[in-house]
Amino acid sequence: MTAVLALQQINKQFGHGHTAVTALKDANFEVSAGQFVAIIGPSGSGKSTFLTIAAGLQTPTSGQVLLNGTELATQSEKARLAYRFNEIGFILQSSNLIPFLTVTEQLKLVDKMAKRSFQAKRAQTLLAELALTEVATAYPNELSGGERQRVAIVRALYNDPSVILADEPTASLDTPRSIDVVERLAKEAHQHHKAIVMVTHDQRLIGNCDVVYKIEDGVMTKQ
Amino acid sequence: MRHEKLRYGLLSGVLLLIALVVFMLAGLANGLSNGNRQAIDNWQATDVYLAQNANETLSASQVKLADQSLIKGDQTAPLATLSGTLRTAKNAHKTTVSALATTRNSFIMPKIVSGHRINGQNQLLISESLTTDGYKLGQTVRLGTTTKTVKIVGTYASSTYMISPTVYTDIATLNRLKAMPVTSGKQQTVNGFVTKNGQFKTSDHGSLQRLTMATFINKLPGYSAEQLTLNTMIYFLFAIALAIIGIFMFVLTLQKQALFGVLKVQGIGTNHILAALLTQSIAMALIGIVIGLGITVGLAQIMPAGLPFAINWGQFGLYGLALLAAAVVGALLSWRTVANIDPAVAIG
Ligand SMILES: Nc1ncnc2c1ncn2[C@@H]1O[C@H](COP(=O)(O)OP(=O)(O)O)[C@@H](O)[C@H]1O
Ligand SMILES: [Mg+2]
Repeated sequence: MTAVLALQQINKQFGHGHTAVTALKDANFEVSAGQFVAIIGPSGSGKSTFLTIAAGLQTPTSGQVLLNGTELATQSEKARLAYRFNEIGFILQSSNLIPFLTVTEQLKLVDKMAKRSFQAKRAQTLLAELALTEVATAYPNELSGGERQRVAIVRALYNDPSVILADEPTASLDTPRSIDVVERLAKEAHQHHKAIVMVTHDQRLIGNCDVVYKIEDGVMTKQ
Repeated sequence: MRHEKLRYGLLSGVLLLIALVVFMLAGLANGLSNGNRQAIDNWQATDVYLAQNANETLSASQVKLADQSLIKGDQTAPLATLSGTLRTAKNAHKTTVSALATTRNSFIMPKIVSGHRINGQNQLLISESLTTDGYKLGQTVRLGTTTKTVKIVGTYASSTYMISPTVYTDIATLNRLKAMPVTSGKQQTVNGFVTKNGQFKTSDHGSLQRLTMATFINKLPGYSAEQLTLNTMIYFLFAIALAIIGIFMFVLTLQKQALFGVLKVQGIGTNHILAALLTQSIAMALIGIVIGLGITVGLAQIMPAGLPFAINWGQFGLYGLALLAAAVVGALLSWRTVANIDPAVAIG
């Protein structure tokens, strides 16, 4: 199996000299299609830094990020933007959604950005899969926290990216809802043959994961 | 969502008020301008000849009819004026008018709508608008301070000069009304001459000086001061509109930094975000401008007739575009802020 996303020998330093912080040390990571991978670590361990580098939002101090075998760092800012849009789906802690668009409109926006017409069938299927058919015309503030994160999953899947990056997707949810969201992520990874990377600090959520990486003080180890 | 609507509604409302004031001021400026110069514009003349010592003011200029021989032009007409009260017998009707006198078949004599051209002494043509004030053909009226009378023989399409309706007569008649010592022949006094494409025949200008029509209009008493005042207010309003839209869009951008960060993470770039801001700004401005224009046109219908107000569609269009440009520039002022939003802040 070839890796959809691979990070090799990644170092990331903030600042210089005395005050320098090393957020990532010689980190190696890979995820393949159909895999649900968790990265677990305490606050301040470097999880967010890892995600931003993986997504090309920050450049590493040294090391390589390969997305479908292409080195991200050598790409232009514009190409990385397009890459992010086409190849990476994001699920963030909260405020994923645009407050003044309904659930369906969020998906329509994706199509509009991609300059294609609305894929009604695909939207319908995905919304049904995540039990959101009822709230298709609701605004984000009319949804529960769990529903919001499920919409974020639909939104991330909708554009059919190579990899989905989830940054503590359950941070604002209670335990039953957290488990529900993570189970759904696992199911989507396996069913749609997607590479999904979830960052979390919650031990209880990693039961459904195919691979778990532990991160502590910037050092990543595969479990 | 409701919250957003309210905010955009407020911006639209403020722009509506600004647009309304801009259009009202423009209408007044036009009205005043027309009131001052409509008669002059009707002449379609290009230049004016006045006495050198008249401070470029028609009423202060006194020249002899004979001086016309110093000027050559496609068409030349002597011009005498008298600003005074037109009144019917027993003062039944009294109106302040601008009386203009020239030769009977001069090119500045207006085209007759009813009645006939001046073909004898002591005849008067009146602006059609005066017929609604009770003046009519065949009436004997007094003009100015003398007890001499003239007879209304014709009307022409309404015109004004120095904010008063015009009346036309011939030079000899006007000089009689003014009680001038000479009331016939080439030694009569007139105020000046107007021509189409005229110039002095030789370097001998006598006591005359030549003014272009634009200069002459600008020198009409009060004219440039009025126009400058109103136009300056309009230009300030453009600046205020720009500032309001700029600040509004800037605050909006600051408030939405987190959201824009999320959009950027998802691959929706600065240009797309800016395009969305621009679209909203233009939409708000358009709504404000169109409603403001609608209210202005509505108010113009119910305004008292005495209020000088005139709609110039070309100019209104231009001012509408200027307000729209303020909306575009105001939104673009947030470009740096949007560009500087680091998408990494959305992760963490
Ligand atoms: N932009 C930055 N500038 C300086 N230090 C940073 C920056 N981003 C992260 N760090 C530091 O790097 C370390 C890892 O941070 P982060 O990746 O946010 O951890 P986590 O997401 O696991 O809580 C922390 O010590 C943090 O202070
Ligand atoms: Mg974090």
